[in-house]
Amino acid sequence: MIFLNQCLQGIFLGAYYALIACSLSFLFGVMRIINLAHGSLAVLAAFLLFVLADRYGLSPWLGLVLVIPVMAALGFLLQILVLERSLKGGLLVPLLSTFGLAIVIDNLLFQGFGADTRSLAPYIGDLSFASWSLSDDITVGQLDVIILAAAVALLGGLQLFLARTRLGRTIRATAEAPEIVGLIGIDARAVYALSTALAMALATVAGAFLALRATFNPYSGGMQLLFAFEAVVIGGFGSLWGTLIGGILLGVAQNLGAFVNPHGFLIAGHGFFLAILIARLYLGPRLARLRLARLRPRRPRPHAARPA
Amino acid sequence: MNSRIGAQSAPSDANRLAPPPLRRRVLLGAAGALALVSRRAMAQAGKSLKIGFISPRSGALASFGETDGYVLDLARKALVKGLAVGGQTYAVEIIDRDTQSDPARAGQLARSLINDTGIDMMLTTSTPEVVNPVSDACEAAGMPCLATVMPWEAWYFGRGAKPGQPSPFRWTYLFSFGVDEFAECYISQWNSGVQTNKKVGVLYPNDADGNAIRAHLAPKLAKAGFTIVDPGPYEDGTTDYSAQIAVFKKNRCEIFNTFPIPPDFATFWRQAAQQGYTRMVKIAQTAKTGLFPSSMEALGTLGYNISSAAYWHRDFPYASPLTGVSGMGLAEGYEQASGKQWTQQLGASMSLLDAGFAALAASSDPKDKKSVAAALSRLKTKTMVGEVDFTRGPVPNVFATPIIGTQWVKAKPGSRFKLDYVVTENATDHNVPVHAKLIPYS
Repeated sequence: MIFLNQCLQGIFLGAYYALIACSLSFLFGVMRIINLAHGSLAVLAAFLLFVLADRYGLSPWLGLVLVIPVMAALGFLLQILVLERSLKGGLLVPLLSTFGLAIVIDNLLFQGFGADTRSLAPYIGDLSFASWSLSDDITVGQLDVIILAAAVALLGGLQLFLARTRLGRTIRATAEAPEIVGLIGIDARAVYALSTALAMALATVAGAFLALRATFNPYSGGMQLLFAFEAVVIGGFGSLWGTLIGGILLGVAQNLGAFVNPHGFLIAGHGFFLAILIARLYLGPRLARLRLARLRPRRPRPHAARPA
Repeated sequence: MNSRIGAQSAPSDANRLAPPPLRRRVLLGAAGALALVSRRAMAQAGKSLKIGFISPRSGALASFGETDGYVLDLARKALVKGLAVGGQTYAVEIIDRDTQSDPARAGQLARSLINDTGIDMMLTTSTPEVVNPVSDACEAAGMPCLATVMPWEAWYFGRGAKPGQPSPFRWTYLFSFGVDEFAECYISQWNSGVQTNKKVGVLYPNDADGNAIRAHLAPKLAKAGFTIVDPGPYEDGTTDYSAQIAVFKKNRCEIFNTFPIPPDFATFWRQAAQQGYTRMVKIAQTAKTGLFPSSMEALGTLGYNISSAAYWHRDFPYASPLTGVSGMGLAEGYEQASGKQWTQQLGASMSLLDAGFAALAASSDPKDKKSVAAALSRLKTKTMVGEVDFTRGPVPNVFATPIIGTQWVKAKPGSRFKLDYVVTENATDHNVPVHAKLIPYS
């Protein structure tokens, strides 16, 4: 029974990772921007929600309605002012500029809010620790169920949006070949800005659940990146369903590791991540065929340039 | 930060003969001008002391350093007329530096203060990540250094001293709590009236503190009649604790004890509540987390009645010899100046300044490093946290200070803050008044 509970909690934990990773997966997998400021931006959103809750008594759920548009607007600016310029410099420059941005955000938050640890949990009453008890050993946290539902809805919704709608296809096409979409009348700049705004809205949701499930301070952004990246990589680039499954596999692996020995929690997670990476290297094409819900058809290998 | 230091500092040798720069302080009025003139006079006599003060003011450990600005301001005000040593008066400049919670930077800052700034003594506080690298840099450079707020075993043995052998340290000194104080405090706290089955579930991480506590504290608790239930070490940063919670529930551990990093505790405790363990807990005793009000407030109602242990409390009956401020005065002064609740680090940082300047005053020549180190080795003085006496041990270079059992309780109606921090036992220092009785967690 305890074993069952371990697996169950692992699934919930994984859904949390996937939810945190959603924005990252979208930018990284679809738009091919590695956003190292993801954690810091999520924490920034958490602070905005905290201010609304603490000063104005607004519940974090209602706060989301206000903060999501603000963060989306911020994402728009981020694209115009930072990412667009740095994307011209190649793949590495956005990496560096978002890393710098993360440092700036962390320290601005520290200047504004000080070092105190905060959490949004006190503002949702008992929900953060309320649970349904299925037996002595198996309990289901109510917030965990909300997180799982949110993860399925967001990642699934985003996947469907990208695969089925015209705008989704436009976004993918723009990411694939920004110069060429111009030929068919698509404004690549606008699409990029819209995508980043969407990514920031997703980061806001990530920040909200981070702040509800755990605690945060101006420097906790970086900590959140690692597991999110692992979830994205395990699930496969470009697939949002994959990120959900990747997150859940990671959470279950960690919890089973902890079941064998409490030492095993992180090791099992990282070990599993490494195993997947190695498996990809050796079984690449065969594994790719098994991959769930691929978005992008595998591109043919470019032919080696023939000497003229 | 630096500009403020500049404004308060005595003119350096380089600009001694130049006319005093037009600083805002000069415009403050006669008092300010007089102070400046007197400091110039002293500086012209060539007698000034530079004291380094290294603490974590930003980064993950920033809640330790949050109050240091206020404490340093008080000390600078008290020292505005200089420090009298053996009939001579020295102008004093305290140069504070922020490690940004990075141990490598802490060592770097220490070396730069020693080699470039030319300080006469180093003071440092708050956690092994700050104190150890700074102490190492001072020991290597022959700079007298006084430190506080980290378990002394990790400072003394962790830096290469061997039990039963002479101390390898000539320049560095620490006054702080150790495992014995924790054991005494916990045993007193857990026997103080709340009825339990004496089964203690322990959640100790696999880090320097966790392993030291597992090896040294747990056996002492077992000897005192408590059954220790240890699911084993876990890694910092773990995000799910179902396995440990299942073990604690199975064994019905009515006492819970932990030494986690603060974010881990919040995750653990909420999950423990979710899975029905907190309802079993009579005493929840935390260390390392639960030192500061903000980390408890973040837990919401789950934070009420968590027990903790304090290295200083505003009810401590000691005043600071350096600034003359009392415990209550320090706490209330900080609350007024910052609008935030007082924390135990206020008293600890103050005691470091108390003891540091007492050592300088007791030395035959505060500009002579050997003389200052010798004064540290036989220092016996009162501070904000009580007595500091390096002649008594427990080992050379170390004096063990008390740890007092405390509890976070819901603040009385009308309070400005959500939680109140009360003293519930005083086994390691009977002078501290006990105003509250421990109440069961659930």
